[in-house]
Amino acid sequence: MDKKVKVVPCSGIGKVFGLMAREAALETVIELCPEKSETVCLAYLVTGDKEVKEQIEGFNCITVDGCPKMCAAKNVSIAGGIVIEEIKVLDTVKEHKGKKFGSPTQLDADGEVVVNEIAAKIAKIINEKK
Amino acid sequence: MSELKVGILSCSGEECLGGTISRLATRKVLEELQMVDTVTLCLPLYLAGGKEERNFAKVFPTISVDGCDKLCAKRSTEKYSGKINGSVDVSKIIGNENALNTKIVRNKDLTEEHFQMVEEVVSEIVKAISKISPDAYSGKTFKGCSCGDK
Repeated sequence: MDKKVKVVPCSGIGKVFGLMAREAALETVIELCPEKSETVCLAYLVTGDKEVKEQIEGFNCITVDGCPKMCAAKNVSIAGGIVIEEIKVLDTVKEHKGKKFGSPTQLDADGEVVVNEIAAKIAKIINEKK
Repeated sequence: MSELKVGILSCSGEECLGGTISRLATRKVLEELQMVDTVTLCLPLYLAGGKEERNFAKVFPTISVDGCDKLCAKRSTEKYSGKINGSVDVSKIIGNENALNTKIVRNKDLTEEHFQMVEEVVSEIVKAISKISPDAYSGKTFKGCSCGDK
C-alpha cells in the first residue's frame, strides 16, 4: 500500500499566493521528499470520482492554501483524507513584509524565497512523521 | 451596460505538465486578451465556496481548460455549476506523453518548448471563445474569484 504523504495545494489562479502554494507543494514532492510524498490533482478530487477518493481516503495529507477560503484543506477533508497539517501561505508571507512576490503567472525572486521556506516546512513535517 | 465577460476555468492539475500548461494558458488569456473581458474561478471553490461560486457557469458563458483527458474542470463545472459553452483538452494539443509528464510540472522547470505549448493552448481558448454565441451572455455580474481580483 502506498503510504506516501499527499501534499495538496490549492493552486489558486487569482493571486500570486495560489501559485506559491502550488510551487511549494511541487518543490516538496519533486525535490525535497520524492520518496515520502506525492501530490494529487485537487481538481480531480473535486470531481468526487471513486478512483481519486481511493487515492486519498485514509491517507495522511498536508494541504497548502493561498487564501482564507482554504479550498485545499476543505476538499481533501471532504474526500476523506486525513489532514495532518494545514499550511497557510500567508503565514510565511507575513514574515516577508514589503516584498514583491510576483504574479499569479510568474514568481519573482522573493516569491521563490518564500516558496522554498514553505517547502522546507512541509518537508520537515513529512520527515518528522516518518 | 451589461458586462460581456467570458468565464475560463482551468483544471490547474498538480500531477502533470498538462495542468501547468492549462493554468498558464488560462492566465495568459485573462491578462492579455483584448477582444472580450474574461474572468476566472478557482475550481475547488465549487465545493469549498458558496452559492455565488456555484452559479459561475450560469452567470457567464464558460470555457473549461483541462490538462488531460480526465476533463476534471469540464465535468466539475457541469456537475456543480451548469452547462459550459466550450472546452479545451490540452492533451489533445500537446499530446498525451507531454500532458502526462510528471517530472516537469513546476514553473521554474519550463523551457521555451513548453511556453510554445502554452501559446498553442491560448490559441485554442481564443477559438473556443470566438465560437460562443452572443445569446450566451446573461449580462449578470460576478466579482470574480474570491482568491483574487479577476
